[in-house]
Amino acid sequence: MNRYIILIFSFVVLLGIGASWVINKANSSHDIPIIKPVPDFSFKNQFGSTFNETNLKNKITVLDFIFTTCPGPCPIMTYNMVDLYHDFDSVSEVQFVSITVDPEMDTKEILKEYADLNGVDDQRWHFLYSDIDSIKKLKKEGFMLYADKLPQGHAIKFILIDHNGNIRKYFDGTDEASMKILRKDLTKLVKEIRS
Amino acid sequence: MSLFRTFAYLSTGMTYLLIFIGGLVRVSGAGMGCPDWPKCFGRWIPPTRIEQLPDYIDPAKFNIVLAWIEYSNRLFGALVGVSITLTLVFMFKYYSDVDRIKYPILLAFLLTLFEGWLGAVLVKTVLNPITITLHLFFALIIVMLLLYASQEAYYLENPKSEENSKYPQKLGIVFLFLAVALLVEVLLGTEIRGGLEMIRKDNPVIDSKFLLKMLGPFKYIHTFLGLVITGLSSYLWYQLVRKSESPSWVVVQSSSAILLFILVQIFSGEILVFLKVIPVIQLFHLWIASWILGLVSIQYSAWKKSQLFNE
Repeated sequence: MNRYIILIFSFVVLLGIGASWVINKANSSHDIPIIKPVPDFSFKNQFGSTFNETNLKNKITVLDFIFTTCPGPCPIMTYNMVDLYHDFDSVSEVQFVSITVDPEMDTKEILKEYADLNGVDDQRWHFLYSDIDSIKKLKKEGFMLYADKLPQGHAIKFILIDHNGNIRKYFDGTDEASMKILRKDLTKLVKEIRS
Repeated sequence: MSLFRTFAYLSTGMTYLLIFIGGLVRVSGAGMGCPDWPKCFGRWIPPTRIEQLPDYIDPAKFNIVLAWIEYSNRLFGALVGVSITLTLVFMFKYYSDVDRIKYPILLAFLLTLFEGWLGAVLVKTVLNPITITLHLFFALIIVMLLLYASQEAYYLENPKSEENSKYPQKLGIVFLFLAVALLVEVLLGTEIRGGLEMIRKDNPVIDSKFLLKMLGPFKYIHTFLGLVITGLSSYLWYQLVRKSESPSWVVVQSSSAILLFILVQIFSGEILVFLKVIPVIQLFHLWIASWILGLVSIQYSAWKKSQLFNE
């Protein structure tokens, strides 16, 4: 009987070692490779201040393209972004950027109103505008997202940008499971700059 | 040993292993490793390269390690399903007229189908916490049903077992309280784990040692119920081992093992509360709880069998 107990005990120890290995492997599997740096740009935010690529430095940024009158996916994207904005309110290293793809309609005042409507009461979430050509160029060449039929045909991606201004990963901004992964990756990047 | 008993034991062991693998999926954060069900990224064998992903799935979800952790849970779950189905087939062959074997196996089989469906719901709801708890709860019920039926079959094949043992009567209510307390304790434990995740969502970069401090009264209820379980198991051990005449090997060993595992649980629980939430300890804390439940079921069946001779 003692032999059986030793056998079971060894099996359980082996399972424990195997499980630790799997957990370690899972923890180290969240690699977020650098895709490319965000190119230079100079837009304005809802307060009328200039926002350019240097504002991406020393912050982890979640960026998306929206327009305030969008009936489709934007409300879901903004809802998800609001959720992140609230949950990361104590993490000063994280900022959010939403760039309008309809600058004709989305003036500084409209964007400020949109920000207020979504409960943005600090400087952590910037709503940016510029001329349509600069926006198209940044979207297409800078972020490699389609920009042909704006404003309707805008991408629904959330883009994760690190503290050096590098694009790290794209997420479906309307998908609940993708948002969970974004949270993990965002937290990982914050911990990296803190350590 | 009948083929029924062989498959019933095999299914029990495999279900225990499946509970372990399921716990591993949870603690390694691989629950959404495959974003679709039953396939994984639209394939029967998970993809190895991001280019193999179908258009409708966000590439951000692709993580080959997490995909395989989650998929092994599904594959092993399917194997367990086959084993339980064979147990059902042999039950009909050998024991279709024995209600106390027939109904537990039938129920275990139906619950296994239900568990498969719950797995699909879990993926669809992006790991709804109540569904996760139910997924574990029914796995525990299945394993207890299998154990109960296996032991009943053993006693049918070995009718003289427990013949010489004389245990105190009227312990049925204690067994019932203990089993219910254990199941509630496991559910409370999963609530603690779910609660930790909620806190982590609101405080994404918090250190894990502060997490438990922010948790509400669940952890105290969990500890209190743990003490109740320790009391009930010690009482049963005293009654079954010390207060009985020639207790069987099964009863002595299971009663002592329960106390030993409770000690391990107290120790591992204290590590989780006072030191750190260490995933592998979390995993064993849950798994050993499922062992205790199984041992209580074995203890109960043996006690019940002996009562037949006393009547």
